[in-house]
Amino acid sequence: MAESDRDSVKRLILTLTVIGAFGSLFLAFVFTWTNPHILEHEARAREEAIMTVLPDAATYEEEVRNDQTFYIGYDENENRAGVALTVIQGGYQGMIEVMVGVDPNREEIIYISILDHEETPGLGARITEESFKENFRNKPIDDYELVNRTPEEPYEVEGIAGATISAETVKEIVMEAGSIALEHFGGGS
Amino acid sequence: MKNLLAIFRNGLWAENPIFKLIIGLCPTLAVTNTVENGLAMGLATSFVLISSEIVISIIKKWIPNDVRIPSFILVIVTFVTFTDYFLAAFFPQISDQLALFVPLIVVNCLILGRQEAFASKNPTHRAIFDAVGMGVGFTWVLVVLSLIRELLGMGTIFGVEVFGAAYPEMIVMILPSGAFLTLGVMVGVINVIDKKVGSDND
Repeated sequence: MAESDRDSVKRLILTLTVIGAFGSLFLAFVFTWTNPHILEHEARAREEAIMTVLPDAATYEEEVRNDQTFYIGYDENENRAGVALTVIQGGYQGMIEVMVGVDPNREEIIYISILDHEETPGLGARITEESFKENFRNKPIDDYELVNRTPEEPYEVEGIAGATISAETVKEIVMEAGSIALEHFGGGS
Repeated sequence: MKNLLAIFRNGLWAENPIFKLIIGLCPTLAVTNTVENGLAMGLATSFVLISSEIVISIIKKWIPNDVRIPSFILVIVTFVTFTDYFLAAFFPQISDQLALFVPLIVVNCLILGRQEAFASKNPTHRAIFDAVGMGVGFTWVLVVLSLIRELLGMGTIFGVEVFGAAYPEMIVMILPSGAFLTLGVMVGVINVIDKKVGSDND
């Protein structure tokens, strides 16, 4: 009895091990097949975002300062066309990751691009729409305030009806990105 | 052959996973806010269901009864991870939209339930018909649900405006509560149809 029990335990372990081993082997192949595509999509998405938020840039260089990666854009004449950086903060349902383009000389936000978010479709997800992102185009770096009407003052940002938290988070992210960029690149350096 | 078709048709209506067996409701409620998402989730789940039923029905005689559930899960998780990678690599937009719900197919009780109730007791060709029937049954309900929700919630189908820009969006329909409302009404309507038509058509 004890003998057959031990046999059956061995068999249980063996069964699960074999299935697990085959599964992992299969997934290892799938991973090597799909991962280059996944990395390519991520890289392309990031590059597109950099070019969107730095419209005057023809090329860009990566530079890491204090663990923060900056993408410094240059125009055709090798002049600096702005600095882009990503900032992540918690939104309504998950993390919101935004690429923010900053012009440190004029102390202005150039434009923003939402890289990643998990906000409610139709509500918070509207942070990705042009009409919301246009809020930040060529906006002086400042302490912004959300309003639910057309902005009148330069520091006002028009929020999204029914998605205050999502809009608020993006606003905070842009403010943070602006001050980080000024800290590292401000003063005409 | 008639027998096999009966197995297939079973999943479409008589034992439809969502409104007859009431299983697999998490993705049903969560991702059916747009038709694109509903369809993608239906197809992804069907793929995992079909692949797992095939593998389980082939290897079932080597699986000891005591570890059958963990064995099913191991097989299912392999195909779900495959689906996750595959979508991320070739359909990045859909993958972004469904996000967390792709890995969560693992715990969709529709899939585990069919392994336990069908694949582990039937030969492979019958398991394939069962899986395809259940997969189609699951997908069509998801598509109808998301059609209603997207249409009422945003006035669009597949992102194309149907009711024009002046349509007052019913935000509640694309929020989780809209899923409960729509599913509840749909199950009710289907019960009424069943009563009217009678079960002799099954």
